[in-house]
Amino acid sequence: MDELYLDNIDEFVNDHDKIVTYKWLSLTLGIHVNTAKQMLFHYLDHKRKESSAQLHATYLVSGKFVDNGQTSHKVSVVREEQLEDVKAKMSLIVSVHVYSVQKALLKDSGPLYSVDYDAVKDNLKNCSKYSAIRCATAVPMSSLELQQAREMHRPPSPEPENKKPAMNGNGILASKPSAKPAKGIMGMFANKSTPKNQDSGREIKSEQKEDAPVVDAPKSRPAAKANPMMNFFGSQPAKKPEKNVKEEEAAQSSSTAAEKQRRSPQPEQKRGDVVAEPQKNTKNDSRSKNKRIEDSDSEEDKMEKKKRRRIKLPEPDSSDEDVIPDSPPQMETREASPSPKKEVEAVTHSYQGNSDGKIRKRRRVLKSRTFVDEEGCIVTEKGYESESYSETEDDFQPTKQALRDPFKASSSKDDEKKSQKKSSASANKGTKQASIMGFFQKK
Amino acid sequence: MFSDLSAQKEGSSLLCRPASEDQGPAVFERTSLAYSPSSERYGVGERSFSRQYAHIYAARLMQMRPLLSERAKEKWGSDVLIRKLCDLETGEQCCIVGTLFKRMELQPSILKEISEEHNLLPQPARAKYISETDELILEDELQRIKLEGKIDKNKCVTGSVIAIYGAERNDGKFTVEDFCTADLPLQTARPSLSSDRFVLLASGLGLGSSRADSMLGLQLLVDMVTGQLGDLGEQSGAATISRVLLAGNLLSQSTQDKDASTKAKYLTKKTQAGSVEAIRLLDELLLQLVASVPVDVMPGQYDPTNYTLPQQPLHRCMFPLSSVYPTLQLASNPYQADIDGVRFLGTSGQNVCDIQRYSSMDSHVEILEETLRLRHLAPTAPDTLGCYPFYLKDPFILEECPHVYFSGNAPAFESKHIKGPDGQEVLLVTVPEFSSTQTACLINLRTLHCEPVSFSAFSADEDEESEMNISH
Repeated sequence: MDELYLDNIDEFVNDHDKIVTYKWLSLTLGIHVNTAKQMLFHYLDHKRKESSAQLHATYLVSGKFVDNGQTSHKVSVVREEQLEDVKAKMSLIVSVHVYSVQKALLKDSGPLYSVDYDAVKDNLKNCSKYSAIRCATAVPMSSLELQQAREMHRPPSPEPENKKPAMNGNGILASKPSAKPAKGIMGMFANKSTPKNQDSGREIKSEQKEDAPVVDAPKSRPAAKANPMMNFFGSQPAKKPEKNVKEEEAAQSSSTAAEKQRRSPQPEQKRGDVVAEPQKNTKNDSRSKNKRIEDSDSEEDKMEKKKRRRIKLPEPDSSDEDVIPDSPPQMETREASPSPKKEVEAVTHSYQGNSDGKIRKRRRVLKSRTFVDEEGCIVTEKGYESESYSETEDDFQPTKQALRDPFKASSSKDDEKKSQKKSSASANKGTKQASIMGFFQKK
Repeated sequence: MFSDLSAQKEGSSLLCRPASEDQGPAVFERTSLAYSPSSERYGVGERSFSRQYAHIYAARLMQMRPLLSERAKEKWGSDVLIRKLCDLETGEQCCIVGTLFKRMELQPSILKEISEEHNLLPQPARAKYISETDELILEDELQRIKLEGKIDKNKCVTGSVIAIYGAERNDGKFTVEDFCTADLPLQTARPSLSSDRFVLLASGLGLGSSRADSMLGLQLLVDMVTGQLGDLGEQSGAATISRVLLAGNLLSQSTQDKDASTKAKYLTKKTQAGSVEAIRLLDELLLQLVASVPVDVMPGQYDPTNYTLPQQPLHRCMFPLSSVYPTLQLASNPYQADIDGVRFLGTSGQNVCDIQRYSSMDSHVEILEETLRLRHLAPTAPDTLGCYPFYLKDPFILEECPHVYFSGNAPAFESKHIKGPDGQEVLLVTVPEFSSTQTACLINLRTLHCEPVSFSAFSADEDEESEMNISH
């Protein structure tokens, strides 16, 4: 057992023609650096006694060096031939050990660096695992801690964001007559109530994406997209085609602007969730979890999850930072997620701060719930659901969506939030009535 | 000395066979110290550049005037007349307090450059912009007056606030008989430590450069600090290095070439800025370090942060791998912190280099001392050194005397102990540029003594080992 490493090193040096540095050996064999150094020495010794093998070694010498009256600590890598020479020049030798063993004579120490660099690169996570020094404080922070640390630096920023989005969001809703139909479609996919802020957001996002294109002139294929979607809705509850189409849409209308727009949506769904959890990231999860549990059946869940998963794939390609952090595993575990969610939370957070003193109420809201019934048909039902809100947060949802909408940065940035909300509330109602997509709503 | 400390362990050499299984590998605990950063004053909150720079000078003078008046009274007697320039009377011996302005012919002036009547070509960069024809002028809040006499104009720089004793002559110039600076501020006593603890200072890592000679040296440095290199003795010595401070210029100057702005877009479309790769390298390097020792990273002249002083800390998004460790501290330039009761203050060297260009002083440590005596980190800001337009107060004025005062990216390692008038003791350290000297500094917190640590490797064109990379 003890001698096994000798064979190993032999193999590396002779057969693979590698330059075996102590660090490389330590990382490869998973041993303490000092042991690696000793092993190299032993190997060298052994090989030389055994046969006059063509082996060359480099050594590390460090010690006190006096130069013109200035003492310094000198650490150097030297060739074997120069070892004694260098040792003689130092006034006090601190350490000497084998640095590397290789077959060829090294003229330059460059390769030593590249060997170590590669070894470290492959083992970045545990580069200090085999070193001789442990640092108690050097423990990577968990994502939760990281978030908290960042949130401490964050508070000022979400505030301005808040205001702007509120306006923008309202602006968007006001201008889109098809917002309602979008919601209807969205309602279908979004499994009524659900929950996962991000996930529903995702879906809604994709929905809204199609919707946004529909309304927004800049998007080219809007109408074309909308129709196939509608067809699918009308005809059958085939999830896959829907998903595909959605994906396509998601992929195509992946401009950041569009995405940001629909980030918003979830007026009904998300609002309740987000608003309900003042300061805690994880609370969000629990609340949405509740909603999910109470509302969906497993089939739907699966469908939703599948949909979410599929949708998410194309999104990471986009440059929208909101999209990227939401990955399937996160969706599953519902953990406090990276920045977008954090931003959302931060917004909520600051938002809560703003609405201090306002009364939170629950009210019943007429909502459409879309779900798949036993036969596999998608059914939409309207029903009352209670929701929590507070006076100032009429349009929290639009606020949220506005958050993501940069290009609607209109002058209303400076307006009061309240007035914004009120106007958006009325705007919402307005769109409902004026919508020509009323056809598709009553499904 | 670090070497002495590390060599204490006898008999445990690594030139032997590996020990048997039961003897576990030696692991040393890194000494951790009380650390409290106090660089908040160098953080710039809201950045509004719509102000004029004159306000900094006003704030500076306002803050320093009382200090200088006191010093003047101490030096020339408490009955010395301290006059404002507007109240000056000819022939009267008095003391005036104000900001120095050195009018230099060779100082690059954008106005001259673009002025059509002069038809000047842009001036080539010079090492020094001083000349014999320079003039010293003292300004206070309302007026200015030319200075002559016993004041060495070559050593003075614009922006220093000083007190001058002399008299005004008939021709309107002020004859200087003596002058004094604000000198060192008060210092809180340094706690006496029981054991040796070290702080490693390095600067000018120069990552991303086309010449990669210093990379092995850098790797050796990292290995030594993280305890991988060396014998047991050295490793236990390295465990006493409780903090690493990287004082600027982590990226090399070659990452700064602004090809993107000058070249045509179609030529630079697929090329990446040099700093992208360099930052990635830096992140990996930092990861190795932070996994083992707390690190403070200061930005420098060539690092991706703002140009004006105070430079803001590098953003943590550039360091995805290493920023998950709480041991990584991204600091501003200038930097101030209390490490185990020892106050460190320093910059990445831009202020010192600038003073070097506009005065006859060449030695970085001499310039460091001068700035300390002037009680101002960067007197030439904002005149020749880029600076944020402060208006409420000047954050570069030293309010408390540090125990260790350093500047990075010096051509060579130098250190000096100086004493202040009120019993202050300061260690001045000029941290050499690692990419060219392969040397870093180790400061012993117990004795406040600094020692250079140099790293070397061998290369094909060197036959004698000893010639290599000595720090000076």
